[in-house]
Amino acid sequence: MKMRKRKNKTYDQSLFVVSIMVCWELLARTKWFPPLLFPRLTTVLYQLFADVKSGEILGRLYFSLYLIAVGLGLAIVTAVIATILALCSPLISNWVQAVMTILHPLPGISILPVIILWLGTGPQSIIAVIWFSSVWPLITNLHTGLRSVPVTQIEVGRNLGIKGVGLIRKVLLPGASPYVLTGLRVAWARAWQASVAAEMVFGASGGEGGLGWFIYKKRFFMDIPSVFGGMIVIIIVGLIVERLGFEWVEVRTVRRWGMTQE
Amino acid sequence: MMRKGCFLLLCVVLLVGCLQIPVSAAPVEKIKIAGQFGLVYAPLMVAKSQGIFQKYGLEPVWKEYGSGGAVREALISGEADVGFMEIPPFLIGWDKGCPWKVAVGFVVVPIGLVTYDPEIKSLKDFRPEDKIAVPSPGSIQHILLAMAAEKELGSPNALDNNIVALPHPDACAALISKKGIKAHFTTPPYLFEELSEPGFHLIVDDIAIFGHPFSFNVGVASEAFHEKQPVVYSIFVNAIAEAMAWINNNKTAAAELLAPEFKLSAEKTLQYLEWEGMNYTTAPYGLMGFAEFMQEAGYINRVPNSLADIAFENILAFVGSRAGTPSDIENLQEK
Repeated sequence: MKMRKRKNKTYDQSLFVVSIMVCWELLARTKWFPPLLFPRLTTVLYQLFADVKSGEILGRLYFSLYLIAVGLGLAIVTAVIATILALCSPLISNWVQAVMTILHPLPGISILPVIILWLGTGPQSIIAVIWFSSVWPLITNLHTGLRSVPVTQIEVGRNLGIKGVGLIRKVLLPGASPYVLTGLRVAWARAWQASVAAEMVFGASGGEGGLGWFIYKKRFFMDIPSVFGGMIVIIIVGLIVERLGFEWVEVRTVRRWGMTQE
Repeated sequence: MMRKGCFLLLCVVLLVGCLQIPVSAAPVEKIKIAGQFGLVYAPLMVAKSQGIFQKYGLEPVWKEYGSGGAVREALISGEADVGFMEIPPFLIGWDKGCPWKVAVGFVVVPIGLVTYDPEIKSLKDFRPEDKIAVPSPGSIQHILLAMAAEKELGSPNALDNNIVALPHPDACAALISKKGIKAHFTTPPYLFEELSEPGFHLIVDDIAIFGHPFSFNVGVASEAFHEKQPVVYSIFVNAIAEAMAWINNNKTAAAELLAPEFKLSAEKTLQYLEWEGMNYTTAPYGLMGFAEFMQEAGYINRVPNSLADIAFENILAFVGSRAGTPSDIENLQEK
């Protein structure tokens, strides 16, 4: 029963996406809009194929993923440390919450001008923006998640003789896992947004740019099919990570434990 | 009797109303003009503040954008009827099939690559980690850098990995504070500001790269606009010429008018207007030279067969077509 439901979902979604693609192609073929602004999907895919073949788009993708991995990795480390400290002392917990309240609403890209002045232009600035964009949702969710584990569960764990690291691993982390997953999902999305936005606002160095720089450059050379191609690659990567990453983990953890529904 | 009187009165009122409508509500023709901000766009500011377009019964709608690429997008999407952009963004659009041509030359300005590093005397001295700021990929500064790189280093792409895209004000601030970038390919007034700093020097300039002055900027109009609104088109060309001639003949008055716009003193504005190489002129220079280089370097796929492919008749008549060997101004279109 569960399998069939899942299959249907994939089928429904694919059908929807395919019909949008067909509409795009047909609409572009009517030439109601200038082809320069609204190219045909087939042109876009053909150009995407050419960009993949020339290696350009894959190189840019690799660089984007590298920046995101570093930025997000640093953000995860920061969030874990901040949360552990906050759990150890109520004073630090209050501090962390204050910092979160102040800085969380600030879009990562808005700190870019200051970052450029401090760190200069280049990968380190983009990593800093990615870190800043993704660290707050991570801390928020980790912090809230760990604090939302019912005291009774912790007490039960203690009564069963689980202590210290074991208590965190066996009771606290599983209890907080829906929040942790949500935090990671939001952080991943914000990391992508930050990396693309940062490269579009100030442009990275030619040879060291990621997909944001690719789209930015193609825009200025009026290569609109390639601009769409860059966006499609970002969407595909997002889909792969969601389906093969987050969903895979979710099905094997929180959904199996009955903590969330599909 | 009373009714008749009312009827007559109504007739009179309607008649007067009808007579007045064409006078008070005559549709004023509008022209949407896309420009950018800065010293280069001084003629637009003069036209605006002196109401030159209004003199011809035309109502200008001014739109300001951050780069030539953005002006180009405004023209393509129909947000603007005419726009000002550098020759390379114009040619990239033409190459991709934008149905437009040059309507008016705009300004010749000194352009140069500035650094604070005494070690960097030529393009050969740039190390891979030295960043060079240009406003955007495909901008005239980027194309000139590619031209210089081809000349000095053998390949137009030799410095592509050194490029960072930064708006002029940010790049100027970064260069003066010596943070992040080593050099900035720029135009007035940023060029003047940077060169006024102690130790800052030019690595290469426009004349050394191109061989002679060229239009930094041109006014562009779509063929449809030119066909359908010939009167508005002619007024546009004339109004721009009028604003330019006024600046050229009244530099002190122009400086006083423009100083508050640029947030500079009138003396400094005048100094900038009279800087060696500044020339507000509707004559275009270097149109074909850019096209040929950009095609060779792979930035565009085709070259115009002749100036007629990329310029309207007023420009063609301006440049002329000398029998026998080409005239000076014809030669100036080439590199």
